[in-house]
Amino acid sequence: MIDFIGKRKYFFGLSIILILLGIVFLFINGLELDIQFQGGTLLKVEMPDDTFDADEIAVTVGNELNKAVTAQKMKTFNPDNAEEAIDMLMLKVSSKDALSDDEISQVINLLREKYNVKPDAQNQVQSVQPFIGQEMLKDGLLAAIISSVAIIFYVWWRYRIISGLSAAVMALVALFHDILIMFLIYPVFRIPVNESFIAAMLTILGYSVNDTIIVYDRIRENRKLYRKADLKELVNMSTTQTLSRSINTTITTLTSVVCVYIFASVNNIQSLKEFTFPLIIGLVSGSYSSIFIASPLWEMWQTYRAKKVVPGKAAKAR
Amino acid sequence: MRAKNWVKFFLVIVIIGVLTYLTFAGIPGVIPSVYDTRLGIDIRGGVYANLYPDLPEGEKPTADQLNSARSIIEKRLDNKSIFDRNITTEPENGRIIVEIPYKPGETDLNPQKAIEEIGKTALLTFQEVDEDKYNGFLADGTPNYEQTGRIVIEGKHVVEAKVGQNPQTSQIVVTLKLNEEGAKRFAEATERLVGQKIAIYMDDLLITAPTVNEKIPNGEAIITGQRTAKEAGDLADTINAGSLPFRMVSKDLNSITPLLGEGALRVTVTAGIVAFILICLFMIVNYRLPGLIANIALFGLIVATLFFISVFGITLTLPGIAGIILSIGMGVDANVVIFERIREEMKSGKTVAASIDSGFKRAFAAIVDGNVTTILTGIILYWFGTGPIKGFAITLVVGVVISFFTAVTATRTMLTAIAGLSFAKKPWLFRVKEVSK
Repeated sequence: MIDFIGKRKYFFGLSIILILLGIVFLFINGLELDIQFQGGTLLKVEMPDDTFDADEIAVTVGNELNKAVTAQKMKTFNPDNAEEAIDMLMLKVSSKDALSDDEISQVINLLREKYNVKPDAQNQVQSVQPFIGQEMLKDGLLAAIISSVAIIFYVWWRYRIISGLSAAVMALVALFHDILIMFLIYPVFRIPVNESFIAAMLTILGYSVNDTIIVYDRIRENRKLYRKADLKELVNMSTTQTLSRSINTTITTLTSVVCVYIFASVNNIQSLKEFTFPLIIGLVSGSYSSIFIASPLWEMWQTYRAKKVVPGKAAKAR
Repeated sequence: MRAKNWVKFFLVIVIIGVLTYLTFAGIPGVIPSVYDTRLGIDIRGGVYANLYPDLPEGEKPTADQLNSARSIIEKRLDNKSIFDRNITTEPENGRIIVEIPYKPGETDLNPQKAIEEIGKTALLTFQEVDEDKYNGFLADGTPNYEQTGRIVIEGKHVVEAKVGQNPQTSQIVVTLKLNEEGAKRFAEATERLVGQKIAIYMDDLLITAPTVNEKIPNGEAIITGQRTAKEAGDLADTINAGSLPFRMVSKDLNSITPLLGEGALRVTVTAGIVAFILICLFMIVNYRLPGLIANIALFGLIVATLFFISVFGITLTLPGIAGIILSIGMGVDANVVIFERIREEMKSGKTVAASIDSGFKRAFAAIVDGNVTTILTGIILYWFGTGPIKGFAITLVVGVVISFFTAVTATRTMLTAIAGLSFAKKPWLFRVKEVSK
């Protein structure tokens, strides 16, 4: 049996340090919002080769439109020929100047005339007004809150034998811990926050609670089996028994997500990379918190309450 | 008893086999093969745009106005021969979502231009007709009259077009209500044109050309000749669309090149296959015999998910595929919980068969609880999510629900059958070192 409860201050401490570190990065790096949340126009244009001067194009296009334009070179994977990358030009216009449909056509025509962009070049356009992202974020957060409430009620009801409400609340604390850690990864690695953050957040929501429940389930079962065991022992025993399951499930789930991440990185598929990386962090955090955060917190709460109600009994429980 | 177990074992294998066949080969005309799955714009390439009415800040279009705007967009896309498209109106958000996939072989796809054109203010005109000037015929046999430019009324003169019924003949008709100026101009023209035709054009497209039966003095006209209520409804929508005072502009425009999308699809599918192989190896190394059986069930899970997607014609997006891959990883979770339990039971001295039995029983509650919370989240995600998030939610929920059957029911059936064999009674096969008796 491993003494999780006895060492809990180290585990809580690690989480707090990581979160504080993330917050420091948040202040240093700031939070970069992707075009979906910030609004603006993003144009990716296939170029004939990589000899073009991105800065010069930015100036030319900027003058034509009378708007501030930034340009960047990028390469992408060619599905028809793995050896060869496709050279692309990425143009960005900030939110207040998001391009109209006319202006986008104007830019493309300009690039065709002046920079030998092929008429059938593969272009990618993303033009968003900021309110679209806000709407998306609002819906996403609403979904997260409603899911959390639904989960509280479910856990409360299913685990009423081990005082379900406190179990549900601690499961949620663990969940917020995971979402916070995942969120802080964005400023640390300067990943722009986009729509996939919402999807990742909601995935972790389901996963983290699922993980915590496995431990709770054991506590519930052991409580019936060992009526005399004190709380600390109960939590330590249950967590130890479910430990190899927790580790193995984390391994299989991580395997699948890490595979996608590696393949996306090698082939430079930005959208998938940006979705899976935070997910990896969230999955690790989710397993960590279900072992080291949720049930130790639950034990603390229970002991605290017992002490308040019957001081004599609590002394024995310690 | 043992024979019955074997029947069940083979039944599971046969079901997985048949599903695999159906998923990949399909039944022409009944079940589409997985290769024909509708792919999202992010994979196929194409345009995805949210069109909003160009109204002053704070004003929202009514649901009727949106339906009218939609009917213009449909007409214009028909006119451009773009039939493969997906148009959704969202009255609560006051917008129309247009998705037009890239057509293979198209070299001059100009999505900006296409979207710009379909969003333009519709120009509805009622024009006088020269009976002898037409090019071919419309689908209903009406000659496709050339525009004469002699305009009787325009969209702005129409207050409302509605589907109604002639009380005497109970024939379905479209009723037209005109404003004051429109009524005046219409009265003048209909008096002059009795017995002749008035053609109704949307932009430069002839919609219909009814004959004037009598002078219409009060601005309330009836157009007859629609064969069905739907046809009448379409006509009313089109006429209403012509009276819309605004154009639709895209405030969220995405055009994705098929080149990038296709690459992403290949990469994700390869990643999924690699992930599957790695997870299988992990399960075999870690759990041996039960692990092998869990892998068969996991394969069943993947095939069943794909089958579900092709049967229900769900559009597969990149996040959707990511959802499937994630459910591969999470799909064996139930098996991990169960097998850990079986191992514990065996260590405590139970026989193989008894351990399997109580392992499944004891793990059941935890598995149900875990899955219910994931499904709850998935459903809420689907409810509130937009576009790609919805795709992710569907595959996640489908994966979890199916995994319940594969990881619990199918695995249990197969494992119980195999455990009946004498060779399977060795603890080694369950990676249990010794049985303390």
